[in-house]
Amino acid sequence: MQQREEKQLEFALDNIIQRVNDLKTSIASMIMKVENEYENLNWPNFLDNYALISGQLTALSKVLSHDKCPVLRNLTVLPLLLSPERDEQLAQSTEGRVTTFAHDLVPDYLRTKLEPMAETKMLQIEHKAGNLTYENAQKQVAAYQKVVVHVWDIVNKAREEWEVESSSRGNTQQNSSVADTHLLVAAVGMGKGLKMGTSPNGNPTSGGMMVAPQNRPGGSGGSVPIPPNTQSVPMNKAPSTIKTNIKSANQIHPYGR
Amino acid sequence: MPRIFFIKVGQNYIIIMSAAPGSAMDSLSAALKCNIIPNQEYLLQGSVLDQYVEVLLHRLRGLCDNVDSGPESFHDHELSFALRAQGSGAAPMVLPLRVRRALDSPESPWQLRYVGQQELGDKNRPTVVRSSIDMACSSTIVEFLTELGCRMDFEYIARGYMFRKGRMKITVSKIFKMGNMNTKPGEGVEPISQSYLVELSVLAPTGQDAIAEDMRIFAEQLRPLVQLEKIDYKRLGNMS
Repeated sequence: MQQREEKQLEFALDNIIQRVNDLKTSIASMIMKVENEYENLNWPNFLDNYALISGQLTALSKVLSHDKCPVLRNLTVLPLLLSPERDEQLAQSTEGRVTTFAHDLVPDYLRTKLEPMAETKMLQIEHKAGNLTYENAQKQVAAYQKVVVHVWDIVNKAREEWEVESSSRGNTQQNSSVADTHLLVAAVGMGKGLKMGTSPNGNPTSGGMMVAPQNRPGGSGGSVPIPPNTQSVPMNKAPSTIKTNIKSANQIHPYGR
Repeated sequence: MPRIFFIKVGQNYIIIMSAAPGSAMDSLSAALKCNIIPNQEYLLQGSVLDQYVEVLLHRLRGLCDNVDSGPESFHDHELSFALRAQGSGAAPMVLPLRVRRALDSPESPWQLRYVGQQELGDKNRPTVVRSSIDMACSSTIVEFLTELGCRMDFEYIARGYMFRKGRMKITVSKIFKMGNMNTKPGEGVEPISQSYLVELSVLAPTGQDAIAEDMRIFAEQLRPLVQLEKIDYKRLGNMS
């Protein structure tokens, strides 16, 4: 009878160790990937890895809850000998993570209860939960439900709006016009469309005529620049509304045109 | 009596106005040799439609350095003068000079600027490069240039916002045509298009081409809102 139980325990432990080892290697490879291949790691690949790990976790918990598995909780691990010396066998079996079986590590590794602080906190919370009346609990659940549904609605609505916006942006968004760019650049760079006296039908202009300052209010003192009133080539087409005092500027300076 | 000199640098000219010509020319050429004068402008241009300018300003606020102070606004009047001289060839030589003044801050000095022929370069060069010299001057510059024989070619009003990102300058401006002759500058003006002009530029000494790459990356961040590109003026000139 006892032999059979022992056999069962051994078998279960082997099984568990194997699963845990599988899990360990896949977690290690995942960490490897994240650390070394983060440049070309794609999302589907990452999710595949994650799915593998999650599958292994499920397998492990299945093994643990199998009815043939003995109840591990009922077994006791007893530290018989603590030693500050380095234990080669232990180091090897833990891949160098634990090298001594000493008093400062053992309480951490063989812990079966929560830390005292966490334990008192848990107790408090359990006590509080136990004291709640059924109606009160029901009320709170309903209130939380309401809040969660509300947030869910908000998120859904935002997603819908966002999707509509992004799909419409993909199709029709036109933020700038090439024609306008060219128009503006030509205007600022070469004065296209800005030159005074250019008639709408695009008559070429000949510069060289000066307008007397009195035609511009506030033009006294010379601080306001005086644009030359360029006139269209046939002289009789000059705008007659502006009284011009024309003098030949050509003779004033040596540079001609 | 100040004297004026034109120094040819590559395809472009530099103008010196000086009372003591010899020393000024010497120190200027020395400075040019040492590459300490920021005389190259790296430039990318684009535009954004009026209704999206707020989006662009918002994005620039996020990308640029002067976040806390908010965007700097400007309202400038620019006059482009041309000095025409009979060159040796058949075509007359035209020397463009630009005068700019801030309408929103009349006490600021005016700016005189020479902008040279732009070089597009090959496909590998991310930006347009052109030589550019600018200096502060007083309001009498217009009379001075007129006396010199310069004629005003055209003028416009630019109103908009300026952003900084390291050495890069980003301007978003509306360009207005001057109204008729009887209005003061700043009044009775009309926008020339339904878009804002967007310019990304850096002034740097010759040979600092690495900055162009930074500009390309920055321009990339503004897509698809604005397409900042190298724009060929010569091709624009042929367009009707």
